[in-house]
Amino acid sequence: MSSSLSGKLPEFGRFPERIGAILPPVVLIVALILLWSWSAGTGLLPKWLLPSPQAVLGEFSHHSATLLKHARMTAFEALGGFALGALAGAGGAFLLTLVPFLRDMLYPYALASRAIPIIVFTPLIVVMLGRGLVPIILIVAFATYFPVFLALLRGLNTLNADRMELLHSLSATPLQILWKIRLPSSLPMLFAALKVSASGAFITALVTEWIGSNVGLGYLVMVSGQYFKLATMWAAIFSASLMTLALLGLIVLIERLMGRYTSLATEV
Amino acid sequence: MRGPALSLAFEGRRPWHWMGLDIVMLNAFPDEATRVRAATLPAGLYADGIDVVFRRGSHSVQALKDCSLDIPRGSWATLIGASGCGKSTLLRVFADIVKPTAGTALLHGVSPAEARANRIYALVQQGSTMLPWRSIIDNVALGLEISGLPKSTRYARAEEALALVGLKGFEKSLPSELSGGMRQRAAIARALTLRPRFLLMDEPFGALDEITRDRLHFELLRILEETGATLLLVTHSISEAVILSDKVIVMTPRPGRISEIIEVDFGRGRTPDLRGDPRFVQYEAQLRRALHQPA
Repeated sequence: MSSSLSGKLPEFGRFPERIGAILPPVVLIVALILLWSWSAGTGLLPKWLLPSPQAVLGEFSHHSATLLKHARMTAFEALGGFALGALAGAGGAFLLTLVPFLRDMLYPYALASRAIPIIVFTPLIVVMLGRGLVPIILIVAFATYFPVFLALLRGLNTLNADRMELLHSLSATPLQILWKIRLPSSLPMLFAALKVSASGAFITALVTEWIGSNVGLGYLVMVSGQYFKLATMWAAIFSASLMTLALLGLIVLIERLMGRYTSLATEV
Repeated sequence: MRGPALSLAFEGRRPWHWMGLDIVMLNAFPDEATRVRAATLPAGLYADGIDVVFRRGSHSVQALKDCSLDIPRGSWATLIGASGCGKSTLLRVFADIVKPTAGTALLHGVSPAEARANRIYALVQQGSTMLPWRSIIDNVALGLEISGLPKSTRYARAEEALALVGLKGFEKSLPSELSGGMRQRAAIARALTLRPRFLLMDEPFGALDEITRDRLHFELLRILEETGATLLLVTHSISEAVILSDKVIVMTPRPGRISEIIEVDFGRGRTPDLRGDPRFVQYEAQLRRALHQPA
């Protein structure tokens, strides 16, 4: 790789080359925080609307135990729901791919299920199952299964004629075709869907906590807002964002590690 | 016995043992009835009165009409003709990808479906059809993996085939790291790992530059002589047809049919010097006349 080229083009290659791509966003966020700090210091931004970054940071160090307790709960709900939803979505996609009859029967309902605003059923589900982890995990799973289901279903059924012909000539079984061709070639779509579901999982967990829980970052945001503890509220919001980013980062990392499957999807 | 003289001529010198084809043959037809049938029917590729009609709704297209051919075991044949003449379709009938509307196709006396189930033919497609996430050796070993062979055996055979096509040392590479010509060679290696009695190739060199193509032609011929496999190859290159054939099957379109079969008498041990042979020019001219004849 010539160095003159990598200087001009955005490179997502090895580490030294990536610094060029990482630096601009870092500069931007530092500038924004400085602006925020300055405007809070001069009173341009009222304290009740947005406390200074120092105050929010202080919240992290003074009330770390409280934040950690709520964050742990939210993480558990979001990750549990995400895992359950992704598994259910993937399982559904496999099932509907392998059994055409089920596909004809269930696909319209799978589409329709997306139209149900599941969060508004939270009170009902809480009445049915009680408060706590289980109903929230179920709601998160229901809200996040769909992108994975749809992407994998499409991926598994987008057939490359040449590859199918090759496997046919080799007398491959339908299961071999699924594992060796259809699943690997649908992985890029699967990862795109996982990223959509990951952020959806945290949003759903947070909102569900407003109604169905007395613990978790969503609950903390709501309660601290009611008591005008704005620094606590912002600390909770940042914690939730950081956790979402961490999950997204993890998914991107796995995607990169599986680069053979996810970045080389071009036809050869 | 319909098995023609040419196949007998090569009986004596067949070096099957290298590819273990005798073992393949004994195992290929596990039931007695098929084995008996296979022994009494033409040992090569055989087609009688093949019609293929493609239907889409009320619309139908006759892709092939009354195609008959007999390619003795161990000999080499090419299908040539303008696009739309059904040459690929005829190849696909033998590969059990297209079902004929009428007529019989046999590979070593068995139907294309049985041939496919017993893996006695190998298909090389127009593009190399590499799976981009698999290394070259895993791509080459794909056929053996699907037949359920243990890992050590399939890697040993894949390495053997890679060496044969001159790709030793590229086992761990990804297809995207290889040139088009090398990928095509890998596709040929994948076909060879199956130790096929029949090599069905659909314009395997179509996308390659002339230099690579020239080299691969004679590599293919060398491999065919070593293994004794029967070749059916689709091409639209006149010189390729002459170089690679004992029989050139000329096809004309609308509907696709066989218009002429030209015997090319270059025997075995062909070398690139062939192009300088006056008969080569004659065969080319004869073939060109056949191709330009009004249907």
